[in-house]
Amino acid sequence: MLEINNLSKIYGEGENKVKALDNVSLSIEQGEVVLIVGSSGSGKSTLLNMIGLLDQPTNGKIFIDGTNTTTLDDNEISSFRNKKLGFIFQFSNLLTDLSVLENVLLPREIEGTNNTAEKDARDLLKTVGLEDQMYKRANKISGGQAQRVAIARGLINKPSIVLADEPTGNLDSVSSETIVQLMKSMAKKLNQTFIIVTHEKEIFGDVDRVITIKDGKAFEGDQPSKMEVLA
Amino acid sequence: MDYRLRLAKRMLFNKKSSLIGAVLAVTIGILVIHVNFVIFQGLFDAIVRDISDYRNGDILVTDDSDYIDKSDLSLVNWFERIPYVEAATPRLSSTAEINMTKNGMRFEETRIPIVGVDPFRDIRASTVHETVSEGNYVFSRNSIVLGSNVAKDLGGAQVGDSVKVKVVDRWGEDQIRRFTVSGIAKSPGGQGFDYTVVIHIDTLRDMMSRPGDTSSLMVKLNDPSKAFEVKEFFLRSFPNDDFLAETIEESAEQQLAGFRSGIAMINMIGYFGMGSSAFAILTIQIMLVNGKTKEIGIMRAIGAKRKDILLIFIFQGIIIGAIGAGVGTAAGLSYTVYADVTKMSFNNSLPLEVTYNWEKIIQTALTSFALAIIASLYPSYRATKKLPVEAMRTV
Repeated sequence: MLEINNLSKIYGEGENKVKALDNVSLSIEQGEVVLIVGSSGSGKSTLLNMIGLLDQPTNGKIFIDGTNTTTLDDNEISSFRNKKLGFIFQFSNLLTDLSVLENVLLPREIEGTNNTAEKDARDLLKTVGLEDQMYKRANKISGGQAQRVAIARGLINKPSIVLADEPTGNLDSVSSETIVQLMKSMAKKLNQTFIIVTHEKEIFGDVDRVITIKDGKAFEGDQPSKMEVLA
Repeated sequence: MDYRLRLAKRMLFNKKSSLIGAVLAVTIGILVIHVNFVIFQGLFDAIVRDISDYRNGDILVTDDSDYIDKSDLSLVNWFERIPYVEAATPRLSSTAEINMTKNGMRFEETRIPIVGVDPFRDIRASTVHETVSEGNYVFSRNSIVLGSNVAKDLGGAQVGDSVKVKVVDRWGEDQIRRFTVSGIAKSPGGQGFDYTVVIHIDTLRDMMSRPGDTSSLMVKLNDPSKAFEVKEFFLRSFPNDDFLAETIEESAEQQLAGFRSGIAMINMIGYFGMGSSAFAILTIQIMLVNGKTKEIGIMRAIGAKRKDILLIFIFQGIIIGAIGAGVGTAAGLSYTVYADVTKMSFNNSLPLEVTYNWEKIIQTALTSFALAIIASLYPSYRATKKLPVEAMRTV
């Protein structure tokens, strides 16, 4: 499913050089819900951006469904992101010029396969409990609702992996709980892989795996005494 | 509808001030050209119309040796057999001294242009008779029509007054005759007979001792576009005579040359205006792209390619161009219609000749449309260069 080999990311040059990721290797299987935790600036979002092909690694390789993504050109990366990856961002990042339904439909429209797009989008919005909000403009709904729309948008193309960057970071506790439960139920229902970056590990409760990023290195688990270096 | 077009439309229509600004930029560019065209081209066309209607006709025939000695009747008949010819009329021109005594005071004017006309043919080939605002056109051998300025300079000559006209004949002798004022000619613009007097052609011939001579033959066509064809046919038909035949463009070339360069300059200013509109669109589009940086990042993250982003902003340029060209053309046409209906004139000058030059109207609209798209290319290109991660960090 996902295999990362010796991944490094260095920002800056010379004396300003910062090693955001240091020789990280890990693999994640289909249907796993994985939390990536760590302190601010530890490199967890950088790792997520690398997996999401939003940024280029300095060294190392990322295989998704057997494809070495580090060799893809810009157009192939865009297509790959569209078909194989779903994104849920901290601030939902919906397009405010579009309606809720149009936001969910967008990845499918970009892909260019529209046969069942609207039905799938409606079904997903029903699943996330927003069937009565689908014609509202995306800036007219609450933060919690927007994050649910983002989940639906992230799932519309049936991606291999859904990447969530602090999905509850901007929500109140009630909305956060709703989003967490929704992601976990979707993961179970669709056998969907979720990789979630968070610093609010507690509200996710039991998940399949927890990976801790510390000083650019990845460790299995979240208890310092039990952490195993992933390399 | 393609999602890129829908997004372009939504992004644009949700930023109404930017949309209105960009559309106005295109609209004003087109309007400036239309207004320039109506006013200056309209003025030019009106001058051409008046020169043609009052003085030169569509074809002006003269002779290399000052006077045409061939029978004017035979020439007129020759022309009027051609289907494109509406009418032809002979004219004889000279200068005169005129004096009049009114209320015991003697008024005298020298070097006044005097034109002899055939009253029956002239009213068919020329509209000078329509400029006679008081009284009648020349109808007898001793009647005279005074231009309004001549009448004024003669102490306010009126219809029925008696004036003395002195011309020098071909032998250098003064010839004096008394005329009764039959009418006063007054016309807007500078091409009418306001500074001229008009008498019967045969009277002038007698006074100049030039029986049967004609200065020029004014030929009016029912289809002015055939002027060159008719002129060439005429010259080919009289190869042994010293006739000169000129179309209105040729005979009025000197009078029109200055106007032509003026119009070219004004049009150039109009096109510079259009160029400025393109810069305005460029600026507005850059602002729109900057304002949508985050959205660009989101779209790239969920799989949109660079060309998709490029298309969204080019579609915006197309929408701006289409609306601007439509509104600008509609505004320009409305102005043209207004000028036409109200017989628009400036400072009591001649009414503008309003013509709907569809070729120019379409050309202006298409140029503006194309400029709006071209002006959108650079901002669109800039939009594609934004990296998703950095773009999404934008608040």
